[in-house]
Amino acid sequence: MTENYRHLYVVIEHIDGEFLQVSLEMIGEARRLLDEFNSKYSSNEKVVAVILGYNIKDISKQLIEYGADVVIYSDNPELKDVRNTIHTKVISQIAQDKKTLGEVEPEYASEVKRPRYMFFAADSIGRHLSSTVLTELESGLASDINKLVIEDIEMSHQQKTGGIKETYAKTLEMYRPDFSGFLWTTILCLDNRNPAFKRDYHPQACSIIPGVFEPLKRDSKKEGKIIEFIPKIDEKDLRVKVLSRKIIQSEVDFDTPRTIVSFGRGIKDDPEQNIKIVEQLAKELNAEIGITLPISKKPFSVSQALDSKYMTPDRVIGTSGHKTSAMLYIAAGVSGAMQHVWGMKDSGFVVAINPDEDAPIKNECDIFIKGRMEDVIPMLIEEIKKQIHIIEA
Amino acid sequence: MCALNVAVIIKLEPDFSEGNVSYNPDGTLNRAETKNTLGPHSAIAAHAAFYAKVMYDAKVSIGTMGPPIADLALQQAQQISDAEELHLYSDRLFAGADTLGTAEVLKTGIGKMQGKMDIVFSGHRASDGETGQTGPQTGWKLGFTFLGNVISYSVDLETRTIRVKRLISLLGVPVVIEEVEAPLPVFISIDPTYKSSFDTISQRLSFQKYQKEASERVENYKEHFKVFNAEQLGVDKTLVGLPGSPTIVYKVEKVPKPTATRQAEMIDGSNPEQIKKVVARMKEALSAMVIK
Repeated sequence: MTENYRHLYVVIEHIDGEFLQVSLEMIGEARRLLDEFNSKYSSNEKVVAVILGYNIKDISKQLIEYGADVVIYSDNPELKDVRNTIHTKVISQIAQDKKTLGEVEPEYASEVKRPRYMFFAADSIGRHLSSTVLTELESGLASDINKLVIEDIEMSHQQKTGGIKETYAKTLEMYRPDFSGFLWTTILCLDNRNPAFKRDYHPQACSIIPGVFEPLKRDSKKEGKIIEFIPKIDEKDLRVKVLSRKIIQSEVDFDTPRTIVSFGRGIKDDPEQNIKIVEQLAKELNAEIGITLPISKKPFSVSQALDSKYMTPDRVIGTSGHKTSAMLYIAAGVSGAMQHVWGMKDSGFVVAINPDEDAPIKNECDIFIKGRMEDVIPMLIEEIKKQIHIIEA
Repeated sequence: MCALNVAVIIKLEPDFSEGNVSYNPDGTLNRAETKNTLGPHSAIAAHAAFYAKVMYDAKVSIGTMGPPIADLALQQAQQISDAEELHLYSDRLFAGADTLGTAEVLKTGIGKMQGKMDIVFSGHRASDGETGQTGPQTGWKLGFTFLGNVISYSVDLETRTIRVKRLISLLGVPVVIEEVEAPLPVFISIDPTYKSSFDTISQRLSFQKYQKEASERVENYKEHFKVFNAEQLGVDKTLVGLPGSPTIVYKVEKVPKPTATRQAEMIDGSNPEQIKKVVARMKEALSAMVIK
């Protein structure tokens, strides 16, 4: 059977030649998925890393060592900074270029038209780039994925198949946690086989949450193919000029402090007062304050000072925010949704304060203090004052 | 003629504020019991459009795709932005669209607005869907330069260019503010940390004037309000709704309860003796720190 779509393309992110960790994580997951795929379907499809930049030729080889079979790179001064328009154009060219596709796997050169799957990072770069590339390619995209499975799916769908039972072979099941963290939604990107509006939707693409998947160990002996793609650059796609780039110090620091105190919707009985006691507890322990994702949506009205200081996205611990490996993590009024747990599970010692014994956080802590935060925290503070004296570094 | 035409695309979303939001016992959102409101990120985008109104005397238009009740979000966004044109794109054919199918409707709708758009704003992401894709996809379909994570902007009306600051936050590397310049038209997805600031007296006076005008317009919002169905928009019906959506939701399941990674010791929070023990354990855990 002719297959017009082959391989898994991973769009690599890097800063001046330094790979972002998520890029290596995506290659790791791509490798695991395709190894299974190739053995299941007796196939030889490739993990293809796509990298754009300037003076990047030398680092391309490393992507092979981290698990890619093939690297396609475009090296051009105009690609030094990530600018959405030109990056979208070049990635889209690479995904559709017959010659390059042919070089990836010469024996299928005559039939392959586009990648089968495509991965981007779900971050400040990849989130938007994936959106615009998949609009250019007119195909489907799922965002913020943390689990991937490839399956043959038999289904009858009113729109997609016109109600007839069809098998969608080699379909990427893309799992994304919803905003509550308690539901998993599986997204599929499927061709329309309904005779009324037949249309192919490939590649099947997604953006992947950084920090979720494991990168592979680097293997300097691994061999692979490196292909240069010379992009067609149109002047009108270069209209954005980067004037400056400045590193800023975030006001919130989850890396340095040994202790993090987080709060969640458990503050609800008296949000203003409860945030204040969390503040006191954090002060005693010289800790940074974190929040859960629902708190960043400002579900409670509190004074402007507390609102703008704490109910902000940059304080979120979890898949939509930061990951911490604090020595001591105190979760006050936090239920323990999957996405939050991801952000704190590497902490050393975890204390949870919660009136609900069945809260999932109980499975993720070393000590579970059953009680309301407003009752427990003042007692903790009292005792900390007696026992712990922290000298600020 | 206005010096600048700006549009905002917004969304009616579940209201996550306490008292309006309702959760099921298992922690999932109870949609039937939860009220709806203008999404918080949409509201920030409307504020960014109002900034153009105050600073450049821009004409503001707002568009949304949704059921008839989404006019509530349009009114709320009008109050923020002093918009004089409110569009609701509503048709059963649009139902079930993914972000690509939605972007097609919004792009077509923006084309129906009065005047050629110079800037189109969207919020960072919706609070319920949380994909953050619809904005950039609409921008790309319009053929506009896309600028994401924008925290501030200024327009040069003479040269028809915009300067923006973008907040780039990537896991594992320091946060960067990037300043870029681009000719109009542009599509901007506004960062959640965006805040308008009006520093001069004349700006503050304009701010007050247009805020008052906004309230008056909201009172007569029907005069500004227009509903378009698929026919009136003239969209290609194979590019919207379910036929125009590459992706489908295949299944929704509860995230399986992970096996316990730690064995929690249970402490009675009302017992001071036990709390004492907890703090001793905390002290032990922090023993690598300088503790006297």
